[in-house]
Amino acid sequence: MVSVKLLFEKYGIYIFLLLLVVFSSLVSPTFLRPQNLVNILNPAAALGMVAIGQTFVILTGRGGLDLSVASVMATVAVIAAAYTRGQDTLLLPAAIICLSFGVLVGLINGGLVTKLRVPPIMATLGMMIILQGVRFIYTKGIPEGTYPPLLRFLGTGFVGFVPTSVLSLSAMMIIAVLVLNKTVFGRQLYAVGGNINAAILSGYNTDLILILVYIISGVAASIGGLYLAGWIGVADNWVGQGYEVDSIAAVVMGGTSFEGGRGGVFGTIAGVLILVILYNLVLLLHLPVQTQYMVKGGVIIFAASFYVRRRAR
Amino acid sequence: MTIREALVLNLQKLPEDRQMGGVAMKKMILIFVVTSVWVGAIGILTTEGRDWARSILWNPYKQEMVDTSKYKKNPPYTMAYCNASVSNAWAVVGVQAIKYVVQQNKDKVKDFLFTDAMDKADKQIADMEDLMAKRVDLIIIRAATEAALDPIVTRAHQQGIPVICFSRRVKSDNFVSFVAASNYTMGRAMAIWLAQYLKGKGNIVLLAGFAGAGSAEERLIGIQEILPSYPGIKVLEKQYTQYSTSKGKQVMQAMIQSYGKKIDGVLCVGGSEAIGAIEALQEAGMKVPITGEPYNGFMKRVQQYGFPALAVDYSPAMAGECVTVGLNVLQGLAVPKYYQGKRYFIATHDTEDIKSDLPWKEATFPDRPDSFVFGYGLPPAEWLK
Repeated sequence: MVSVKLLFEKYGIYIFLLLLVVFSSLVSPTFLRPQNLVNILNPAAALGMVAIGQTFVILTGRGGLDLSVASVMATVAVIAAAYTRGQDTLLLPAAIICLSFGVLVGLINGGLVTKLRVPPIMATLGMMIILQGVRFIYTKGIPEGTYPPLLRFLGTGFVGFVPTSVLSLSAMMIIAVLVLNKTVFGRQLYAVGGNINAAILSGYNTDLILILVYIISGVAASIGGLYLAGWIGVADNWVGQGYEVDSIAAVVMGGTSFEGGRGGVFGTIAGVLILVILYNLVLLLHLPVQTQYMVKGGVIIFAASFYVRRRAR
Repeated sequence: MTIREALVLNLQKLPEDRQMGGVAMKKMILIFVVTSVWVGAIGILTTEGRDWARSILWNPYKQEMVDTSKYKKNPPYTMAYCNASVSNAWAVVGVQAIKYVVQQNKDKVKDFLFTDAMDKADKQIADMEDLMAKRVDLIIIRAATEAALDPIVTRAHQQGIPVICFSRRVKSDNFVSFVAASNYTMGRAMAIWLAQYLKGKGNIVLLAGFAGAGSAEERLIGIQEILPSYPGIKVLEKQYTQYSTSKGKQVMQAMIQSYGKKIDGVLCVGGSEAIGAIEALQEAGMKVPITGEPYNGFMKRVQQYGFPALAVDYSPAMAGECVTVGLNVLQGLAVPKYYQGKRYFIATHDTEDIKSDLPWKEATFPDRPDSFVFGYGLPPAEWLK
């Protein structure tokens, strides 16, 4: 009995995901169709990429979170379109510019949080608004350019029968898991999240770790933004709108605690899948699309209360 | 050519026309009389001969005119545009259109102020207060919300500052003129075109705009007025898309999964979501007729993929017309209380009642970004930079 409980507590999110898949395929015969799965997985990949970065930030605990991710996504989306103007040959330099932009934003976020002691929620909220302004000045309100076919392929194409975006997300996931579990940085990150004072006493450069974490989030958001742009195919000032909340919801659902030091990437990806499957299910069941907002809010509250109760015991 | 110029040409041609037979002659006289009455009426409204929207010319009811003699002032004027936001391309092109018309009237307009409320009603109220304190001669407002901006607009109105509502009005009638283009007409035109294109028979899906937004709901009402006349047209499902390209794509993909080849047409009321919908349809290999607005991304894709389509504009150039209406107000000329802006129907295929005003490719700009919004009366390209 105890072991079942333990199993449920540890793998609750995966069991829930499995049950959701079974439930979805029962209530909607179209759910398991390959094309529908592709429809779910393409946008899920972009969200997954952002959520991986978000996981790193939330793992540091003490209210660590990154609200600027959606703004980073939209900004790289308009930069990529304006810079490449639909040419494949310019995609690589454009990607380098976009990733550097993510690094810069992360560096500023990290600097604000560590050096100026600005609470993460305020620092990244401010950054989100600043980036909106930057974007509108840069685009003058009308984003220029189009996306190169190669980026469209990354966002919507296939290698064999597997969507390209899913392969890319898998690669990012493996790297993230290795960084978190097999590197000194990863171990120190968990230590900072678990008990920052102990981490300082152990001689860890906690500021550097925090700054690196925000940089990782900025870069992950840049990559996610490029993939989402490739999926939508239109340069828009609001690409990724709502992804800050979605990514935080996925991380929380995945069992990464706001207190820090607990959780990981696999749970986050499960959280992402749950979220996008629920969104898809809303549409397949012909419920009003606004129901998605209720689902999102409900899931966040449910997940948070589930983990709080679990940890309180 | 303005109607007045056309009339002058007609008059010059008259001696030749006299050689026509009796019936043709009577017809000519009838056309002449009708045109003269209209031009006479329009002449009262305008300072210069100009072409008017067909929605004004075709309005079968009395046009409610507002006496503006109490606002008459000598130029030069200080005017202002109290904008809800420039958060989308349509709103940006609107601002450019205003700047263009102001530039053309720089002898009359000394100063033109712009405010941007970033879609926040409270900021827009403060913006209005600022403009009133600066004693501007006239305010054009695109209200963030109907209710929240009503008291301040009413106050300005009572203080004798003429206010023109643009695209989004306030709840009360405390303004001089409301410049917009009918969303009801837009919905009706889209429904008629799709139903006629499908020869009155088929299954369609309905992609609505932002739930609760006036423009979206009015377009839906327009559609609902028409569809019952076509019992052979069945609406499989209606979904809101929040005027968003990615939601449009997501929703269309799910509908394709649910109904597949049963979908014979897509009645989509907005431009952004039409881009997402057409992407989803193209990926699924379904070339069905679709409606939308002339957002360049939609226009380009229709042309490139070869979809049958109708685009009805809600022209951002109406913002420029607000300046013209405003100048009329300040010169004490009567203006319509409800001013209907000009609009195009752009169709790849004509139907019995909806004919294209111009070829699709003339409203498609391959070199311009996807988010560019085309519409009737837009200033020349160099002004839209």
